[in-house]
Amino acid sequence: MAYSEKVIDHYQHPRNVGSLDKNSPDVGTGMVGAPECGDVMKLQVKVNPETGVIEDAKFKTFGCGSAIASSSLATEWLKGRTVDQALEIKNTDIVNELSLPPVKIHCSVLAEDAIKAAISDYKKKQSSRKPEAVAVS
Amino acid sequence: MPTLSNDYYEFFGLARKLNVDQAELQKRFYELSRQWHPDRFSRKSAAEQAQALEATAILNDGYRTLRNPVRRAEYLLKEEGFPIGEQRSKDVPAELLEEVFELNMMLEELKEGDDSARSQLEAAQQNFIGLRDSVDSELEKLFNKYDASEPRSETAKQALHEIRGVLNRRRYIENLLRDVDRAIHPAGAQTEPVEDRL
Repeated sequence: MAYSEKVIDHYQHPRNVGSLDKNSPDVGTGMVGAPECGDVMKLQVKVNPETGVIEDAKFKTFGCGSAIASSSLATEWLKGRTVDQALEIKNTDIVNELSLPPVKIHCSVLAEDAIKAAISDYKKKQSSRKPEAVAVS
Repeated sequence: MPTLSNDYYEFFGLARKLNVDQAELQKRFYELSRQWHPDRFSRKSAAEQAQALEATAILNDGYRTLRNPVRRAEYLLKEEGFPIGEQRSKDVPAELLEEVFELNMMLEELKEGDDSARSQLEAAQQNFIGLRDSVDSELEKLFNKYDASEPRSETAKQALHEIRGVLNRRRYIENLLRDVDRAIHPAGAQTEPVEDRL
């Protein structure tokens, strides 16, 4: 099976590899995995709490080329979007952009799950912070 | 001509249980091998010869599947409507993902030539071998739970669902152990084959 040029490009030059401080209240972390192939993907977003805009996104994926490309593309798409816009990213968008073959669709599902997990982690952190802030003032 | 069953349990005449008596399985395998041996069909019609060939294929695939507890469980799960590999990552506990991730990071450091990662990896390897052992005993318990339940009852379904989760964890662990082993012993190393475990 041949990888598309876009997959190869993301695989050879992955964008936004790295990590953000997972203890920061403005950072959401999503960790997901695909048991069938042993892949594991960590995706993080740094959100501006005032505007809700994702200012930075990082990922680290251990897995096949398609899994790496899917998460690399996801981080590119996340930057500059609001949290709510980020949740609109669907795995099918990734499939289309990267021309993933049917056997690799689960890689794009993994990336979508990772986005959702990261955003929900961020939201959880924010909501647990607010009551505190009120109590202090 | 007799009709052939594609179902491995039926073909071998075994009860649809997750625990299979290995001696019994082997005995049936030898009997069926003799029964379907191509030499016995050399003077038969083309249709009968083709059927003997088909039977031999089912026999070999079935034996390979039923002999190994993990493959056997995966087969039964699929047959009972719990296919492995189609569920999403939520079925894998978060702590395991964290561990898998950390271990992969260590593997990468070792590959990049940081030899201090080696002792950490060896410790992690022991940890994961222990984890695999506990997963295997968990599987054993669930196999018994399934075998004791009424076929297709709620209890049976519940057991199969749990087994699928445990098999997913096991696959992660198995893949990692293989990668760790390769990283620690780059040339021709091997852990004990999956085949003989459980």
